[in-house]
Amino acid sequence: MTTSQAGTSHGDRRDAPGPEEPGLVARRSRLRAIVDIPEFGVIAACVLVFVIVTILQPRFADEANLQVIGLDLADYGLLGIGVGIVILTSGIDLSPGAVVALCSMVSAYLNVNYNVPVGICIIVSVAIGVVIGYLHGWFVTRLDVPPFAITLVTLTAAAGGALALTSGQPISGVSFFYQDLALSKVGGIPVPDIIFVAVAVIAWILMERTYIGRQIYAVGGNREAARLAGIPVARRLVLTYVISGACAGLVAILVIGRIGIGDPSVGSGWELDAIAGAVIGGVSLYGGEGRVIGMVFGILLLMLINNALIVLNVSPFFQEVALGLVLGVAIVADRIRARSRGQARPRGLPVFGARGSEARGSGAQGSEARGSSEPAQKPAPPT
Amino acid sequence: MTESASSHVSQGNAGGVSLRRVSKTYGLATVLHLDELTFRDGEVTGLVGENGAGKSTMLGILAGTVTPDPGGEVVINGEPVPPGSPIASQAAGVAMVSQEFPLVGQLSVAENLTLGLRQPGSRGIFINRKAMNAAARAMLGRVGLDVDPRAPVSTLSIPARQLLEVAKALGRGPRLLILDEPTSALGPLEAGLVIRFAREHAAGGGAVIFVGHRLEEVREAADRVVVLRNGALVADMPVAEATDDRLIKEMVGKEHLASVTADHSDADHSDADHGSVARPAPVFTAEELTADGLGPISVSVSEGEVLGVAGLMGAGRSRLLHTVFGAIPFTGGTMTLAGARYAPRNTGDAVAVGVALVPEDRKQQSIMANAPVRWNVTLATLRRLSRSGFLSPKTERARATEFAGRTGARFASIEQPIGSLSGGNQQRVIFGKWFAAEPKLLLLDEPTRGVDVGAKAEIYGLIDEARARGLAVIVASSELDELFRLSDQIVVLRRGRIGRVLTKEQFSKEQVLLTASGVKEGP
Repeated sequence: MTTSQAGTSHGDRRDAPGPEEPGLVARRSRLRAIVDIPEFGVIAACVLVFVIVTILQPRFADEANLQVIGLDLADYGLLGIGVGIVILTSGIDLSPGAVVALCSMVSAYLNVNYNVPVGICIIVSVAIGVVIGYLHGWFVTRLDVPPFAITLVTLTAAAGGALALTSGQPISGVSFFYQDLALSKVGGIPVPDIIFVAVAVIAWILMERTYIGRQIYAVGGNREAARLAGIPVARRLVLTYVISGACAGLVAILVIGRIGIGDPSVGSGWELDAIAGAVIGGVSLYGGEGRVIGMVFGILLLMLINNALIVLNVSPFFQEVALGLVLGVAIVADRIRARSRGQARPRGLPVFGARGSEARGSGAQGSEARGSSEPAQKPAPPT
Repeated sequence: MTESASSHVSQGNAGGVSLRRVSKTYGLATVLHLDELTFRDGEVTGLVGENGAGKSTMLGILAGTVTPDPGGEVVINGEPVPPGSPIASQAAGVAMVSQEFPLVGQLSVAENLTLGLRQPGSRGIFINRKAMNAAARAMLGRVGLDVDPRAPVSTLSIPARQLLEVAKALGRGPRLLILDEPTSALGPLEAGLVIRFAREHAAGGGAVIFVGHRLEEVREAADRVVVLRNGALVADMPVAEATDDRLIKEMVGKEHLASVTADHSDADHSDADHGSVARPAPVFTAEELTADGLGPISVSVSEGEVLGVAGLMGAGRSRLLHTVFGAIPFTGGTMTLAGARYAPRNTGDAVAVGVALVPEDRKQQSIMANAPVRWNVTLATLRRLSRSGFLSPKTERARATEFAGRTGARFASIEQPIGSLSGGNQQRVIFGKWFAAEPKLLLLDEPTRGVDVGAKAEIYGLIDEARARGLAVIVASSELDELFRLSDQIVVLRRGRIGRVLTKEQFSKEQVLLTASGVKEGP
């Protein structure tokens, strides 16, 4: 509204590209293209932290330490991708940490107490994550429950469930396959990282190279516009929560292997690191903006800093402070970038159930009209 | 009015509220320009005018929510009021009841009534609930509204909320009470009540502005009626002179004078004649279509035909389009598309069989502002663009370039965020999106809202092109000139039903307004 056609009768003028000398453009364009990548900042920060910390304390770059970072990266990174995709729809998932605890406990419990084959225990773990994600999506799309609220319910209930299963006792004696999976390496690279990279690539393809991914972006960017373009909004939303749940179920398996037992208190607070990582990687809490590559590097940056603080012998209390500051810098940087592009954030509070647009607009669409009928939708015939 | 020009504060006309040399321009467009307009104490002034005549702007200036151009002043009781300050306006005694209800749904009736007032009986920052409820009860009593002051506003019916708004405004003991279409949400009984409050307030020495679409109500409430057209005051008459014909003539403009009587005479039998003219097989038909707040409505559109939808705000224009598009569930009746039964359960069904909707609010309902033009063009056709689910960037880019180009949209790069384009170019991209979906039926809701004049003509060109390619088009608009320019036939909606069908020869603003405002019942 600030750009009210001051002085021009043709509003269209503003669309013309600015005057630029061709020679200069050619020379600069390469560099500009790199710097203009939205994730440039976070990738550069990763490199910078790595280099500086290595100079201060060469032990940081030891193979053993890098493998520790790698294992952390796999756990948090998988959660970060799942949560990040949910955040792209302007939703939120607070449950992953608790779901990791619940899934790992159930998986270990079945394996140890009922001698269920480990393969099935792994499938069960992921399946529990999928079911929880589906329920989240169901509540969010059918009952209009704010994502913040329903996933908070799961955070509490799943963490409690994990403890209740064995009255808080850890489960030992799990199959060695868990450890083989989590602790072996292929060519020096931990298997969990190979899984993480594979999931990241799949997520990238989904989001960047399929129509489903684009529709997820559309649902996050402007839910009402997506609905009025014929996109099955509810189904896309449900899918994102399912992805997040499945990622948590997968992490649960890796966690059992890493610590060798089923631990009911594992995963507590992990969702916050996952969310922070995604946000640091440029995923907007308002939805519609951010990429998988950013999520990956956002988590990586967190893990690097986390580990650096340990290697540099910083007091654990200050570690938390430092991580908070990193998150603060990332959020402020994102806002500055958005502002420099002249974008306003028109919508209400994110996270607490930013509900797209049914409260605004023409009044032509009743609240009863939205979302309610989408899951029954028949796929459009491909032409 | 003839006192010496040097005197700044006019003494001769101290009573009431005056607007002096008040104007408002947005960019190049002057939406309001008044030399002098006074709302006198003890008088109800009816205010009428078409959409875009400047009514809302004028009321906004009075209420302080719109800042007028420098030079003009609002004078209340001889004192100029600082412009553009809602607080100053309220302090000077202006209270407004608007069409929307700015009530806080979760708060109680009493809390809403006393919101922004000095809390009755309060000590310091603490609320005295008892005193507050008592004060609220007194305010409710004045409007005869029998609701519990402790009930949350969200539990109230729409008419009750509207009356609550009136109570809230009256409770401030205003000098000037503005009622902006206060009856549009009310039944006849409550509407009569609101009119009585307006009369009582004037009888008590206050000034009242009563804005209404239903001319009868305006006449009933007002002592005097002023008419705005294109931002200027065109008529100011005692209510006795304010006949329907006179008012509509003033609202529409004098040049239409001749057609008023002419159309009246032949309007009644002409519809039957035109029904018998042979038309090509319809692309879309609706029989007795109903939805929440809509219908039953029966319409049909043929290949290459444009059906216009007129009606006042809230008459169901958008609702009709959204129902046809499957965005609002239809509750009864049958529809056909290209001869086959058409029963969309959601928007996806509609798009799949070839129905497209360009919604009214571009920013909220059409575009992904931060996403590139490319994404916005392919949004509705992502699925058919992809091969076994995969979207090739090359194919997508080619497709987006082709269809955005076809509409003449101008942009530096297909990767540019659509939000950085002008309104007209954004709308062209949206047309491109739907042309790419190859629809049979194109639904347009206010297709030129928020675009400048040049772009408007180009969008009309796109619509003409669409009809030339054989699309059936339904266009809803609040701008009658636009409907006349585009349509082959116009249905006038009133309260969710068809008030009247006008064929091309019958197009006139008078006919539409008479039907839309309920003066004249249609066949």
